[in-house]
Amino acid sequence: MYPTDPWGLLGLWTALLLMLMIYSYPLYKENVFYRFAEHLFIGTGLAIAVITAIQTTNKIAITPLGHGKLIYIVPILLGFAMYLLLHPDYRWVSRYPMAMLVGSAIGLGMRGVLIPFILTQVIDTITAPVGGNAMAWFNFVFIAIGTFCSVMYFLLTIEHKGAIKYPTRLGRWFIMLGLGAYFGNTVLFRMSMLAGRAQFFLQVLKIIPM
Amino acid sequence: MSEGIWNRMQRIDRRVLYWILFVGLMIPFIRPIGLPIAIKSSTRDLYEELRQVEEGEVAVLSISSGVSAWAECLPSMVACMKVLVQQNAKIIGWTTFIDGPLTWDKIVSLVPGLEEYTYGEDYVWFGYFAGAETGVAQLASDIRSVFTADYYGTPIDELQIMKDVNDVHDIKLVLSSDTGDACDYYIRQWHTPYGTPVAEVGIAMQGSAYMPHYRAGILFGMSVGVRGGAEMEKLINEPGNATVSMDAINISHIMLVIVVVLSNVGYIMTRGKR
Repeated sequence: MYPTDPWGLLGLWTALLLMLMIYSYPLYKENVFYRFAEHLFIGTGLAIAVITAIQTTNKIAITPLGHGKLIYIVPILLGFAMYLLLHPDYRWVSRYPMAMLVGSAIGLGMRGVLIPFILTQVIDTITAPVGGNAMAWFNFVFIAIGTFCSVMYFLLTIEHKGAIKYPTRLGRWFIMLGLGAYFGNTVLFRMSMLAGRAQFFLQVLKIIPM
Repeated sequence: MSEGIWNRMQRIDRRVLYWILFVGLMIPFIRPIGLPIAIKSSTRDLYEELRQVEEGEVAVLSISSGVSAWAECLPSMVACMKVLVQQNAKIIGWTTFIDGPLTWDKIVSLVPGLEEYTYGEDYVWFGYFAGAETGVAQLASDIRSVFTADYYGTPIDELQIMKDVNDVHDIKLVLSSDTGDACDYYIRQWHTPYGTPVAEVGIAMQGSAYMPHYRAGILFGMSVGVRGGAEMEKLINEPGNATVSMDAINISHIMLVIVVVLSNVGYIMTRGKR
């Protein structure tokens, strides 16, 4: 629905104007309008991030501390200790919260890695389809060979010649295929974003309905 | 003469290509082509699983995608929400992105069924939480330790929907909408230890990244990119923004393929003469 109130219209046209300022870089060349929009975008984003961080800290740590939950003094102090990274004499203090952060993240991450990311994937790769059609069997064989050859490619302790020359070369092709698919999807994502902006452009100009 | 053409082909100003692309993308919006959309099994499984959600069961929509990804993720999220509303499911939303609240507001405005829902009773929005995977793990063990109130400041214990919802055991499924690896957090912290069904509603790049997880049965479904959104819209029989965008996406791909082919032909033709 196309906005009718003045603030809605102002927001819509400001958005379009800023979008065109940003697009003036690829469509024309770097210019003052592009730099203005870029700086405005970064500044606004940073301001929102800072406000969100302050609000979150207040909500999850400072408010409970004010209600007598003294344990919350620990994360608050650890958080402040992070900023000592900026002070050369006390930089060492920041290593403790950093170590806690990295340690807890690794510990939590490792908890759920083994089964879904390794065991289940291996089992799925080596399990033949039951009652599947020709395509399912083709996929099974393709993935099995692809996985085997791709893993072989990373055998770096022996030279890739003799019996393993062709499997490793095939592995390289599979890796290139995989990376190509990933890159293709990346391009698809960018095109979708551009299509979204093209649609917005037409909607603001009332060429197509909003 | 021919060498000149091939060389010139490789020296086309990129701005010309950008203009062609930008203008070319607009044409299908003005004159839709209506190319057919085939539904992938991953999207169909997502739809079918959502259709299995029973009245009163709680689904989580975790938003880890920003406003910039609306073109990709929003249609799928909206379609999923429509299915959940049709099923009379209860919906909890939260985000790891600071602009997540804008996405939630947009979703609410695009799902007409939510007008008949009662906020705080049938659906709730908690907003942003910090900590990424640590926060997701904490939500699994105790939601109240992460959120003491909803986004609008209502204490969590005053929200009717949260009366019997305390942790992961009270959640039927999770829809993770992300542009990065947030779905991994739910796989590691919700699915693996507790068996909570998780689905990915992400950008196109997630398609190849999460396909192994879908094939292995870790994710019960996936809807990735505009195409996923268009497939979901087709499944719920409500053509929307993604369906309209698909023509533009297809046109952009055709143009890209032509440019890649031409530039490679130009390179091959001049390679021996360098």
